[in-house]
Amino acid sequence: MPRVSKGLELEGTVLECLRNATFKVELQNGHHVLAHISGKIRKNYIKILPFDRVLVELSPYDLTRGRIMYRYRN
Amino acid sequence: MNDTVQIIRVDETQWQALSDDVVVGEADLSRRPDGRRFVSIDVWDDAAFAPLATAMLAALPAPLHTLVAGEDTESAARWGRAGFVAERREWEYVLPTAVADPRPAPGVTVLPAGTADEAELRLLDREIRAEVEAASGWHTMPAEVRPGPPGDTLIDPSLYAVAVHEGRYAGLIRVVRARGRGPARIGLLAVRAAHQRHGLGRSLLAHALHALHETGTTSARAEVDWSRTAATTLLEDFGAERTGHLLHLVHP
Repeated sequence: MPRVSKGLELEGTVLECLRNATFKVELQNGHHVLAHISGKIRKNYIKILPFDRVLVELSPYDLTRGRIMYRYRN
Repeated sequence: MNDTVQIIRVDETQWQALSDDVVVGEADLSRRPDGRRFVSIDVWDDAAFAPLATAMLAALPAPLHTLVAGEDTESAARWGRAGFVAERREWEYVLPTAVADPRPAPGVTVLPAGTADEAELRLLDREIRAEVEAASGWHTMPAEVRPGPPGDTLIDPSLYAVAVHEGRYAGLIRVVRARGRGPARIGLLAVRAAHQRHGLGRSLLAHALHALHETGTTSARAEVDWSRTAATTLLEDFGAERTGHLLHLVHP
């Protein structure tokens, strides 16, 4: 197995549902990112709503963008 | 990013795309209880999508299903290039729970959630599901349909309000309240074919929304197959707003 590194993952809270299936998420460190739902959770028919606590993987190319990898049970 | 993307299969259900030892894409497989296989691909670089799709398609038997946001035309196009075709589209709605007139249509009585006779409710649910199975079928539903015990399709009877028409149980609505501050979810609204076009669906929806409003829930959400114009019209008559749509794709 090759040595691999994955993107940075941080917890946050969904503030707002935006157009084009993106969400404004406030991370625990106070930063705001634009995130879309990962295919991995979308395929399980999981819906994301304001106030949901989520795990966001940040883009390695742009730390203001990410994808929602997990929705915690509120 | 390096020009070369290396694909590795991590385990039975996961693949990764690597570039310079960095994960630039992942593919994942989930098996639904009904046997359908749903796949996903998440990439940080477009160049990783096609090789991940190729590796996964070569390893898995057809048919394969996936879900994408309808607004995400780029993602839908990628899946299309991998051979996936549209199976169904769903509108996603949010409805206000304030209803001008919650009274049922003439000749219709609505039994509030938790008050219906359980045996009759279960019979109605089985009849409705048999009618759906004989028409479009549950297999087109992108939502996960969990199989219950044989002959039993109804998990929690207390969630269902029932419409009575011509002396028998003829329609039902299932509403799940959110645990937190979020909207409630209308999971199912259905009327037996022989009792349609008598206002049962409208009566059930008005009742359910009003009941939510009375207990402080201000909105509800629902998903509807966008080819079902009667259902979309009904929701929009109650002030429902489209918040997005979901595209269900299949690799046959």
